Amino acid sequence: MDGLVTAQSIVALLPELIVCVFLVVTLLTGVFAESQGAKSLASGLAPFGVVAAFVATVALLASGFSGSFFGDGFVIDPFALYIKLVVLGAAFFSMLAATRFASRTNGDGPEYAVLMLSVVFGALLLVSMRDLFGLFLALELATIPSYALVAFDRRRAESAEGGMKYLVTGVIASAVLLYGIVLLYGFAGSAAFSDIAAAYSEGLTPVGMLGLALLVSGFAFKLSAAPFHFWTPDAYQGAPTSAAAFLSVAPKAATFAALLRILVEAMPAATAVWTALVGVLAILTMFTGNLLALRQTSVRRMLAYSSVAHSGYILAAIAAVQGANTNLGVQAVLIYVTAYAVMNLGAFFVVDVVGEDFKLYNGLFRTRPMLAVAMGVFMAALVGLPPFSGFFGKMWVILAGAQSGSVLVYVVVGAVVVNSVISLPYYFAVFRNMFLEEPVSDGPKTDDGAMVFSIYAMAVLTVVFVVFVGLLATVTGGAGLG
Amino acid sequence: MITTITIFIPLLGALLVALLPADDTTIRRAALGVAAVPLLLSLYIYFAFGDNLGAAPLSQDAGWISSLGIGYRVGMDGLGFGMFLLTALLAFVAVLASWQITTNLKQYFVLLFVAQVGMNGVFASQDLVLFYIFFELTLIPMYLMVGIWGDENRRPAALKFFIFTFLGSTTMLAGFLALGILGGTFSISGLEGGAGLSTTAQIAIAAPILLGLLVKVPAVPLHGWLMDVYTSSPTSTNVLLSGILPKLGTIGLLKVALPLLPEGVAPYLPYIAALGAVNVIYGGFAAFLQTDLKSLIAYSSIGTLGFILLGIGAGNAVGLNGAVLQQVTHGIYSSLLFIIVGIFAARTGTRKISELGGLIGRMPWAAGLFAVGGLAAMGLPGFAVFVSEFMTIMGGYEAYPVQGFVAALGVLLGAIYFLYMMRNVIYGPITNPAYEGIKDASPTEMAAIVPLSLLLLILGFFPALLIGVQQPAVQTIVALLGGNS
Repeated sequence: MDGLVTAQSIVALLPELIVCVFLVVTLLTGVFAESQGAKSLASGLAPFGVVAAFVATVALLASGFSGSFFGDGFVIDPFALYIKLVVLGAAFFSMLAATRFASRTNGDGPEYAVLMLSVVFGALLLVSMRDLFGLFLALELATIPSYALVAFDRRRAESAEGGMKYLVTGVIASAVLLYGIVLLYGFAGSAAFSDIAAAYSEGLTPVGMLGLALLVSGFAFKLSAAPFHFWTPDAYQGAPTSAAAFLSVAPKAATFAALLRILVEAMPAATAVWTALVGVLAILTMFTGNLLALRQTSVRRMLAYSSVAHSGYILAAIAAVQGANTNLGVQAVLIYVTAYAVMNLGAFFVVDVVGEDFKLYNGLFRTRPMLAVAMGVFMAALVGLPPFSGFFGKMWVILAGAQSGSVLVYVVVGAVVVNSVISLPYYFAVFRNMFLEEPVSDGPKTDDGAMVFSIYAMAVLTVVFVVFVGLLATVTGGAGLG
Repeated sequence: MITTITIFIPLLGALLVALLPADDTTIRRAALGVAAVPLLLSLYIYFAFGDNLGAAPLSQDAGWISSLGIGYRVGMDGLGFGMFLLTALLAFVAVLASWQITTNLKQYFVLLFVAQVGMNGVFASQDLVLFYIFFELTLIPMYLMVGIWGDENRRPAALKFFIFTFLGSTTMLAGFLALGILGGTFSISGLEGGAGLSTTAQIAIAAPILLGLLVKVPAVPLHGWLMDVYTSSPTSTNVLLSGILPKLGTIGLLKVALPLLPEGVAPYLPYIAALGAVNVIYGGFAAFLQTDLKSLIAYSSIGTLGFILLGIGAGNAVGLNGAVLQQVTHGIYSSLLFIIVGIFAARTGTRKISELGGLIGRMPWAAGLFAVGGLAAMGLPGFAVFVSEFMTIMGGYEAYPVQGFVAALGVLLGAIYFLYMMRNVIYGPITNPAYEGIKDASPTEMAAIVPLSLLLLILGFFPALLIGVQQPAVQTIVALLGGNS
């Protein structure tokens, strides 16, 4: 067809194209590089690609560029651009933090960088998709390299095990999701969001309901929502820490955004159904994540279960998206995802430096005071203590839920508050160990500048969130869907 | 703008102290210099704007999250200003009182200044979300100050403090958010008078807010966290813990609960007054039974906070004025007593009442000023506490005679245990020969306790210095509650 590829559509794809170019260059340099130095150079290219894509996205957002391309299958709106910024920002710091790991992997650094760039590429496409099949492809593009990322640390058996579990459950999730998509295609006779929305507005048929349920279930797998969460701790436990940090934030943010877009744009007439579905998932996920996190003896597994719990909080925000409340709900999702990205990345990075055992954190304040302060900030933020980022995330979710006017969502919001209290002990245990216990060793060594920089950058962002939350509110306030 | 500067200047101080090279003497001097700045600024505010606090130059609305009706709104009002001033003074005194801390001094001061920012912010905020953020900002620094620098019981004490007050403030936040959503704004002045909410809605929202604030005060039976944390803290933490922290709760009652939900709190007022009376009697009897000096003062604090609750519960001009003033006077006398107990304990190695005795012969200044603090605490005329306590009892009796009468008995109890304590600790024969050679308060310690003692007398004779400032704000509350002043 003529006119599909225009100058406009190329501009719209600019961030993705930049990432793609760097992906290919990194891959080729990695393949042809002979020396260790050349390989390091190759893996060092990736963060630059991400920065370039970030700049391009900021330019698109600032210039007010928007529109739909490729037969309405690909859309650029402030919502998509904002999530792309979160994905790229999280990817940048994960790549910086990964340089130490990459240099340890005997020349596999470029491959690691290529896999991360592939996930980024998929995630960027995902948030712009307005067509079920394109969405499925983008989601798989983001997911398949992440199986390899989890299993990347071949020397550790648990890395392979985590990767395997992730792969098997991920494939089942994809099958479920695809089945849902096919049913929806059958239901609407088209994969375009607008046609599906039209079909729903004519009435909810059993096929439409089943398609919706399977679609949400497939997404629930990918988002580690209970009861589809069981791969999460093993995958995060096995993955290299920088990969766990990256996967818990960047592709997840994009997947949440994609789910939100489908629900709001393709299924507005079925709001009551998906609100109930997502609300129940949210409650289950919050309680499962938090109650299981309480029992962990490894900080990394604790963070894995905590990320399940945070998926629940974000689902709670999605449940609050309805009717006149749509903008506030979408805003809650965007603010929460941003707040979560900075605090969770930081916490995982610290785990990479200090280690997994709770005891390793004893007396960290004595041996590495700044590191302990940074981790203290992340823990307080994850609990939701003000003035740190996590507080604003939860506050938005509660405010959005409280204004939804739906009894079910009130219950979900109540569960958010109760779960914030349940989560206190396990985050607090790390905090207490760091500040009040006696050190057991001289403390961890960190001579890696990029890692230390990433940790402190996340800590600073978690703290100054309070200052910039007003600006974020303005940006995300105009980023509504629909 | 000056309000914002005064609130946040300790944060700059914390940064400065953190960046200094680690030499204890330099750090102490720098910290003292830093602590002096907000004190001077607050005094300037008092003398320049004392007559019309809340006027234009002192309030600031810098916008923030305007889409949700949340703003960076701060300002000096008559209710909070006395405590704002006292926070500056007590932070300065706390720096002086931390002279004996030798481990991780730098970190200690950083935490102290961060806590001060939180306290300043609570007394000056004019927005519910901002109020809550500042309220919680004190939590981690205070937890760490007790947990790291306290005595051997510090860890469970700090944990208890954290959990109790965290649960309390989470409850309070739920009420704040409900109020803000239904009222359409989080601005305190915008919500004044109930913002058109029905009485039922107001009553429902008032419940979690009151509960959360009463934990912070603390009102018996929500006081479980207080004793351990008071007795195991280092002296200078005690100054802030007893002098300022409970007032974050009472200022919440005065600034949020009463004026924003007047119809909602009305049914609770007699119970608040009753809780006040219970606090007074419980604190009095418990203090009487203590063998440890710090525990005794801690329980007497519970009693004194009861008078504040009585005055607030009374809801009339006299009672409220007494309560606002008592916030300040209690802060002064309890800090004075805690610092001097710290001096006694440092010299004699014990805080047990039975092991002390005859100190006035060996350390006339410290023991003499201890007597001043004790006499002030039991509400002797001429001292500031007399005025504030008398006003709360007057107001309480006028509104609820039973509660007022019961609380008045507490004054008698106070006199008994304070006289008993003074007789045993500073008078009588010297119980331990080792006390013969002990030294009196050092110049640094004198610099901390003399101003506090003088202030008790000055405010005792001229309570109008503060009442004048707070009076208009109190009138507003009384009018909102439907009374006539």
